[in-house]
Amino acid sequence: MGSLTFEGLGKSYGEVEVVRDISLTIAEGEFVSLLGPSGCGKTTILRMVAGLVEPSRGRILIGRDDVTNLPPNKRGLGLVFQSYALFPHMTVFENVAFGLRRRKVAGTELDKRVREALGMVRLAAFGERYPRQLSGGQQQRVAIARALAPHPRVLLFDEPLSNLDAQLRDEMQIELKRLQRNLGITTLFVTHDQGEALSLSDRVGVMAKGVMQQFAAPEEIYHRPATGFVASFIGKPNRLAGSVAMREGSGGRLAVGGVAIPAARIEQPAGAQVDVVIRQEAVAIRSGAAQSDEIAGEIVLRSFSGARVQYVVRLAEGVEIVAETASHGPEASLTAGAPVALAIDPASVFAMPPEGATA
Amino acid sequence: MSDAAENRPGWGLTATAFTVVAFLQLPVIVVVLAAFSTTSYLTIPPQGLTLAWFGKVLSDPTYLSAIRMSLILACGSTLISLVLGVAAAYALFRKVLPGSEAVTSFLMAPLVMPAVVVGVALLQFYSMTGLRGSLVGLLLAHVVITVPYVVRSALASLSGLDLAVEEAARVLGASGFEAFRLVTLPLIAPGLVAGALFSFITSLDNVPVTIFLISASQTTLPVLIFSSVEMGIDPSVAAVSTLLILATGIVLLLAERRFGFHRFV
Repeated sequence: MGSLTFEGLGKSYGEVEVVRDISLTIAEGEFVSLLGPSGCGKTTILRMVAGLVEPSRGRILIGRDDVTNLPPNKRGLGLVFQSYALFPHMTVFENVAFGLRRRKVAGTELDKRVREALGMVRLAAFGERYPRQLSGGQQQRVAIARALAPHPRVLLFDEPLSNLDAQLRDEMQIELKRLQRNLGITTLFVTHDQGEALSLSDRVGVMAKGVMQQFAAPEEIYHRPATGFVASFIGKPNRLAGSVAMREGSGGRLAVGGVAIPAARIEQPAGAQVDVVIRQEAVAIRSGAAQSDEIAGEIVLRSFSGARVQYVVRLAEGVEIVAETASHGPEASLTAGAPVALAIDPASVFAMPPEGATA
Repeated sequence: MSDAAENRPGWGLTATAFTVVAFLQLPVIVVVLAAFSTTSYLTIPPQGLTLAWFGKVLSDPTYLSAIRMSLILACGSTLISLVLGVAAAYALFRKVLPGSEAVTSFLMAPLVMPAVVVGVALLQFYSMTGLRGSLVGLLLAHVVITVPYVVRSALASLSGLDLAVEEAARVLGASGFEAFRLVTLPLIAPGLVAGALFSFITSLDNVPVTIFLISASQTTLPVLIFSSVEMGIDPSVAAVSTLLILATGIVLLLAERRFGFHRFV
């Protein structure tokens, strides 16, 4: 076991910098996710930790040991691949025993530790099967048992749940979290799924274009995004083209097609063209006429998705935004054409540099 | 079911295919039949029925030493080709060197080059370097001819492999060579068996390259058959040819049964 530290970690392929100057420490026993769209450099970081990609700059430390120049087999890590990467010509038992045998574990001790690892993922009875005889979820669990069996210092996950169907993914999420908590093993988890990252992690690192945008607890990431990218990547954002109408203290008012929207935090000067990012879940919807501080609108579309209901609401001058509410709440059955009043939490409104197309 | 019916070729195509195969295989049948004739010259249909020619071949020291020579060459060149070919294919697949495509083409060249040209070129080269007439020279020549088969089958097998499997082995504590030996090699083994068989058979019946390079004292079976035919035919040539056909056929049949290796060709 040990902490995992990056010091000025970077990777370039020729002119292209895919990972830029990452410095952070993952505490012993901590669960950290790297979250970002594909090509943001998160997988490259994971592969550098595993020793499968050579860093261009910086150092990687496990505990106090500098492992930057060690080959993968000398790092004492566990890695779970997106494709599982089980050895198809070996039984489940032999797959799990592979790492132990490399460490010269043999005989009854080997037997005991393989059984222990398979027991942890509830596959004790599957030792004699071959990977092709297992379902996707079972293969995934074998891959986890295989990574855990040698008692790695740090556990790495590369998008491990993205090949599972939705229900199984939720089950595995809970199982993973429980396993990690019980074992107290330092974990680095790479994913593009914000739900996974937020629910599993002690801290989340949000990445874009090789740069760490924010490294903080999930609540912090969600409620106080450090950059415009984080604001628009996390949650379900509305993104509207607008401008800064008025500055006042650290915040002010934004204008979207004549509709004024208060925001608690604005970095741009008055008059600047910006993209206004508003979380769907930060828009409170109420049927009836708008009072002061509220924005008047009209329902265009209602979309039911189980626990939540989404409304497309048309504001003045054709501006449309999406608002979300609980499907058992009082405002769950509004119909198209109904007049509504919207209240938007100024802390959940972000102004960011315009990115051309609006969504 | 309807798909299968639509994809089935018409009777015209089937008949043509059978005719072509029959035409190609007829000489083989002729040779086999001739080996059992009691006459002292090749004749079809065979007169009488005897195994005497097989007995003559298997007690003739010239034939026996040629068979021994052919087996040594075929086994030796196949083993060397396996080692070199797998190493080359692995490096090409992993793109260890720049210009992998060029190297691949170079390794495959003996496959498309007329064998006579390879033979003449090697003869010239061996004369200059003093390898001419030596067993080592002959063995190396056979490696040149057989290595493309191993490289090709190894590349085909490797391309179907999930690279992450080897990385998983590395992270679990295996050295680079251990990962290759314990994971990659077993996974590409069926393809390598196919490549090795092709290599073996190619070496076993090679004439056009071998004939330029052998010394008077050591000859291979196919070259001996070739020269025997020139000097006048008796059914012992047919008998030894039949043995060669039989051996090749058995090897291919076993390989197909065991590995279904038509997938790798």
